[in-house]
Amino acid sequence: MKRRATRGGAGATQAVDSPGAPVAPRLAHSDVRLRLIAASCALLGAGGARAQSGDAVAPLTPSIATPAPSDEWQIDSALAYYHEDGRIRAIEPVVDVAKNLANGQVIGVNLTFDSLSGSSPNGALPSRKAQTFASPSGTSLTDPKKTYTTAPGQLPVDPNYSDDRLAAGASWQIPITRVTQTTLGGKLSYEHDFFSVSGNAAIAQDFNDKNTTLNFGLNEEYDSIRPIGGTPIAGSDYSLFEKNGGDKTKNGISGLLGVTQVMTRNWLSIFNLAADRFTGYLNDPYKILSIVDGAGDTSGYQYESRPDHRTRKSAYLENRVGWDRASTALSLRYMSDDWHIHSETAQLQGRLWFSDQDKYVEPTLRWYKQTAAYFYTPFIPAGEQGSTGYASSDSRLGEFHALTVGLKYGEKLAGQHPGINGEFSARIEYYQQISDGHLDAPGSLQGLDLVPKLKAVLVQIGWRF
Amino acid sequence: MAPPADNGSPTTLPAPGTVRLEPRGKMLAVVFAAMASPCEVLLPTMDQLKAMEIGRFVAEETWRIEKKFSRYRDDSVLAWIHRNRGRELTVDAETSALLEFARQCHELSEGLFDISSGILRQAWRFDGSSGLPSEATIAKLLPLIGFEKIAWRAPRLLLPEDMEIDFGGIGKEYAVDRAYEQVAAVLHEPFLINLGGDLRANRPPAQGAWQIGVERPDTDRDAALLLSLEHGALATSGDSHRCIVHDGKRYGHILNPRTGWPVVDAPRSVTVAASSCTEAGLLATLALLHGATARSFLEEQRVRFWILE
Amino acid sequence: MKIIRYLLVATVVLASACSSVGVKPWQRDLLAREDMQPSGSSIDAAIDDHLYFSKEASSGGRSFAGGGCGCN
Repeated sequence: MKRRATRGGAGATQAVDSPGAPVAPRLAHSDVRLRLIAASCALLGAGGARAQSGDAVAPLTPSIATPAPSDEWQIDSALAYYHEDGRIRAIEPVVDVAKNLANGQVIGVNLTFDSLSGSSPNGALPSRKAQTFASPSGTSLTDPKKTYTTAPGQLPVDPNYSDDRLAAGASWQIPITRVTQTTLGGKLSYEHDFFSVSGNAAIAQDFNDKNTTLNFGLNEEYDSIRPIGGTPIAGSDYSLFEKNGGDKTKNGISGLLGVTQVMTRNWLSIFNLAADRFTGYLNDPYKILSIVDGAGDTSGYQYESRPDHRTRKSAYLENRVGWDRASTALSLRYMSDDWHIHSETAQLQGRLWFSDQDKYVEPTLRWYKQTAAYFYTPFIPAGEQGSTGYASSDSRLGEFHALTVGLKYGEKLAGQHPGINGEFSARIEYYQQISDGHLDAPGSLQGLDLVPKLKAVLVQIGWRF
Repeated sequence: MAPPADNGSPTTLPAPGTVRLEPRGKMLAVVFAAMASPCEVLLPTMDQLKAMEIGRFVAEETWRIEKKFSRYRDDSVLAWIHRNRGRELTVDAETSALLEFARQCHELSEGLFDISSGILRQAWRFDGSSGLPSEATIAKLLPLIGFEKIAWRAPRLLLPEDMEIDFGGIGKEYAVDRAYEQVAAVLHEPFLINLGGDLRANRPPAQGAWQIGVERPDTDRDAALLLSLEHGALATSGDSHRCIVHDGKRYGHILNPRTGWPVVDAPRSVTVAASSCTEAGLLATLALLHGATARSFLEEQRVRFWILE
Repeated sequence: MKIIRYLLVATVVLASACSSVGVKPWQRDLLAREDMQPSGSSIDAAIDDHLYFSKEASSGGRSFAGGGCGCN
């Protein structure tokens, strides 16, 4: 091919002026240059140094410092305050740090501290007479320093309940192939009377262009319990304070099999099946039951006793639907176990974005219902104490339903305030438990509020960057 | 791009990361290597210390931009974007400006200019072999090309999995303009910044207009074209890479993002003059993408241009 | 155990039945948004799960059970 230098117009060597003012477009295509000039101006005007009229040559430094990509590190933190009406108060700071590595792996570390204090029900029933109990480290009912008294008609609570817990967890996500990923994790938790260590491994496999993901995971937990004052003999007479010393242990294995499916551009669906089995010491060493006769008088107490194994199975379904400025999620869970407890949970959560996705509100509604464990009983009828069966009056094993109403507000601060990045959030939740158990209050106990509602508020502020 | 015709040219590039001062007749040139090209800053009336300061600044700004948007570095913003495909990212102001520019160019070129078309590299390897990719190979890649498929709304970017972007088509011209503006803000004497053939000057030196030689692609460095530049920018786009010859047809390395195939009958080299290097560079690129109609396209844009067949 | 085998088969069948359902990679813009992520992963979920674990008899379901504390 012959080489020619061609140019629209005159010869090859010509003084080049700055381009003339653009003329009115004759064809659609001459719009191209105008728009290109505008686009170039926008590009070069953005963040560049402006022409200065100064004469001296100022020291030159490159115009825009390159910021380190901020998404390599993700730090999520929150401070939650929990308050149960007239009972427990807790404060819980949490920090979660995640780092994306260049090889696609993700490392996460989590630290939680929670501090509880207040009064905690000990499992005994209210009575028409005053009642005296020993605090967990006490061994008699006569030492005034280690006992507490409950007024007539009041629910017996240990007023000096306090517990501090420190927990740390770590996780490591490793992509194996473009469609397979494993996650390994571990957790440690420490309280003065309880220690837990657990490890988990999970694998996620993508199919169908990453529209379907299969998840499988296993978790193994080992707990060591060292009750204050020693471990009471389950089911024994409270006043004997028979504690057979010895630390107790329990361990559990849990598994989860799940499918995550992208249904449409707006809709994601998740279905999980999970099961766990715990064996070992499953009692609450601080809980007792009242022994009550037909007249409503409490004649004594006994320590609670639960089976030494528990197997649970659950099915979970979550559907999330999103639009331009809002999204909603509905999740349902059904659980049943071999203590004959079944529960149903339904949670509806919504998010509404304001002002260009910088601010949002997130209302939540949760409904929960559970049936009682087969050995749950609010008290032991007089004459049946000391029998070899299991018994516990822990309200957490009883029959109740609960409602949570919550609202969260979040605001992204990036770009709004110089030098501040990240997202701030504040959340408040109200939780109420209402007992469904039908209690035939014997004798003088009639008219007393034997199983009061649990009402609690959670307030939380969070910072993510 | 050869240096001004009346001087001997340097035969070796400075070591990476270094700048070197060279006399060019009555001018000083600070030369360095960046973006796989020889680069230089020409300062006709400067003292050596000032020339080095200015030259070093231009070099560092160019290296900064090169590192930031490099396809080959783990620590570049581009690598970070590709590590986080499928996740929404908030990009910094400079990256945001470039992405916005890429979007506007995509629109005004009706899809001919597309920074997501680099993925076609997987099908087209211009390594001297004469094999063409199969229709099936191209067909698999086409759905992954298209700036409209990227969720971009400044400053939030969501690059879908399996898609790729790169700023190779605009990076060098942008670096010229960026360095030029900052130098021009403080220096009123004439200067010219030339990064591998994309160049811009603020005013002519005392000796008269800048003399620019445009090389013929693919050959030794005899200038095919000699231009005089008083001020403004020049950018050259060309087909200097090896091509694939198959059945007597020459397939150049400019690929049409809409079809996945090389543009037919594109000129070997297009040089455009405009007020900014970015504008000139994009017009040159668009001209090549127009293939056989490159000349009429440039004539419609009413710009000064030179085509080498 | 038989039931595990049935569950496995059911899950795989379900997963493969979903092969025609889904979106292209560039249609995942909404799904990448933070409020469209599965709920088990946030700090809020961890704090809530801890609360429910200590007040109710059920736990877990969307991820591994809370556990690891002496509150139940």
